[in-house]
Amino acid sequence: MTQLVLFNVFNGLIVGAFYALMALGLSLILNLSGVINFAHGGFLALGGYLAYMMIPYVGFWGALVFAPFVTAILGLIVERVLIRRVYGRDPLYSLLLTFGLAFMFEDGTRYIWGAQSLPFQVPGWLMAPLSVDYFFLTGYRLFMVLMVAIAVAGLFAILTYTRLGMRIRAGTLDLETVSVLGVNVRILRNLNFGLGIYLAGLAGVLAVGQLGLQPTIGTSLIMPSFVAIIVGGLGSLPGTLLGGLLIGVASGVTTVFFPSATEAVMYIMMAAVLLVRPRGLLGEEGRF
Amino acid sequence: MTSDIRSALNRRSILKTAALAGVAQITSPFVITARAADEVKIGFDNPITGVYAALGKNELIGAQLALEQINGKGGILGRKAELLVEDSTSGDAGTAVQKARKLIDRDQVNFLVGNINSALAAAMAGVSYEKGVFHMVPGGHTDPVTGTNCHWNVFRICNTTQMEANAVAGSLIKNAGKKWYYLTPDYAFGHTLQAGLEKAAAKLGGTKLGGDLTPLGTTDFSSYLIKAQSANPDVIIFLQAGDDAVNALKQAVQFGLDKRFHLAGAQQELEVLIGLPPEARTGTWVFEWYWKQPNVPHVEQFVADVRKRSGGHVPTARTWFGFAAIHACALAAEQAKSLEAVKMAKAMQGFKLPPEVALMPDSPFFRESQNQLIPNLFVGNAQAKGSDPEDLFNVTEVAKGIDAAGTLEDTGCKMTWPA
Repeated sequence: MTQLVLFNVFNGLIVGAFYALMALGLSLILNLSGVINFAHGGFLALGGYLAYMMIPYVGFWGALVFAPFVTAILGLIVERVLIRRVYGRDPLYSLLLTFGLAFMFEDGTRYIWGAQSLPFQVPGWLMAPLSVDYFFLTGYRLFMVLMVAIAVAGLFAILTYTRLGMRIRAGTLDLETVSVLGVNVRILRNLNFGLGIYLAGLAGVLAVGQLGLQPTIGTSLIMPSFVAIIVGGLGSLPGTLLGGLLIGVASGVTTVFFPSATEAVMYIMMAAVLLVRPRGLLGEEGRF
Repeated sequence: MTSDIRSALNRRSILKTAALAGVAQITSPFVITARAADEVKIGFDNPITGVYAALGKNELIGAQLALEQINGKGGILGRKAELLVEDSTSGDAGTAVQKARKLIDRDQVNFLVGNINSALAAAMAGVSYEKGVFHMVPGGHTDPVTGTNCHWNVFRICNTTQMEANAVAGSLIKNAGKKWYYLTPDYAFGHTLQAGLEKAAAKLGGTKLGGDLTPLGTTDFSSYLIKAQSANPDVIIFLQAGDDAVNALKQAVQFGLDKRFHLAGAQQELEVLIGLPPEARTGTWVFEWYWKQPNVPHVEQFVADVRKRSGGHVPTARTWFGFAAIHACALAAEQAKSLEAVKMAKAMQGFKLPPEVALMPDSPFFRESQNQLIPNLFVGNAQAKGSDPEDLFNVTEVAKGIDAAGTLEDTGCKMTWPA
């Protein structure tokens, strides 16, 4: 039993790291622009499908590099053409807009690539199990964790050391003052949205390596991201990371004792956090 | 301006958003609807979106082909037949029932067809029974639909879960071992399929080492696989369908479980095997219909017809379910020479499908007093590649449906007819 619980804690951290990657992109957009991006799952699915299309030409590694970039470019266009128009309005506008976009993405992918799951292959050596006796781990899962670590480190490096990152962080605290100081807020929001969507695209390519590539993939993965943000604390990127890891571990451990509640436990956890600490674990009081 | 946004975007709106996301997963984005006045109407209430969208699409392709053939031969009772299609969603019984009521009350359909999801099929059967409408279930397998909850007006094309279990249990015990661990989707189909397998295995000396119920729409199966491998069974039984089955099998093979245990299940579909990478196409399964049946009349023509309308893809069992369901509706009307539901239902008791609809050996028939089609079942192994890119299953045994079906008493069906 102890071994089973330990396996599931370890595995839960891996799954949670992936949830965190998705949630970080969402959180980034939410923090600066105040947009709850329902279409995030749609961009994630798009990243997977673009990678599927690119693999015959550039291989898996090329697709891993290019597909998130192309997804991010589409994100920049969507922000420029649609999302920008609802800034400053009641949040319901952006909610409804991205809600509609999510449906359009799902039906669009179904229309273009069909409802049928598509076989997505990753390099053979990544597919091999590393050890099932001591760790329940595959090469691909380890690779995913590595990619998540690189992406998270890269994101925090950008936010900490680059002019763009500093402006995003400043804008997150007080966008109006940043604007008054001469920063072009429109471009800042646009690039920030693109950065968030890049993370969605990357999550999409990584997800389809171990899941079926189907139009519903984004919808089925988006809810844990929202939960991770709320548990971790609105407005806090480290909180989002922590939230993702916690719900991954909670789901994994629940499987040992009450398997049919592995999804429900995320929401129970969210309810508990909201009752005890409404701003989330690392959320700042009064931010939202 | 920014502070206005912040004040409006509080925790409550985030929570409302999360609730909205939940709703998003059960609502249907669009509905394809066709209407006509004097035509014979067939209401098709089946998934177009969600985890069963691919299966639903194939059932629809089969249904549309059948409709074209029927209308090409003069329609139903000399009237043109029309298909009214509604998206039931993949998992929301409330939506499926609402669409069924709409088709019956507003569109006045003569036939109701659906659903792939067992729970939705059962819920729709309740509505069609209440309204006295002839109902054909193409692909919802749970036993009670033509078992303990059978109704005079509800017929079914696909097999019961017990039939599938009976067809594969012997082969699995003989070739893979007696200790089984179950991974079962947590809804009507999974529950009855597991119960059927446990019953069939027990008769042959098989034992259950353990099992887990997995929520419909599960993406990560690793924690369940950890438990399954630690139980050290001879066979890990996967009872998931659709996209869930793709995710479960892909991950099981990535963890190398196919090297240590026999992977199997009581039902497999071509849609799932196509969605898997070649190395994950493994295990022992039951197919309810397969497109490669040399020397069986009309199969080759059916495959060619379907390829023309599906971008070159071969028909799957789902395509055949949709095809046979619509033809069976038309045949019921022709047999009864009426569109009255009771007359049609009586005309179908013991009715054998003609070879151009049956598309398999041994003439499948609707068992009297149960309304369950008794077709053959195809037992075999998934294969990475075959003679065609979509030849992904090697049939090792054609199990006789009547042997797998058990007796009428076993099903628990006690049918009562309207006075």
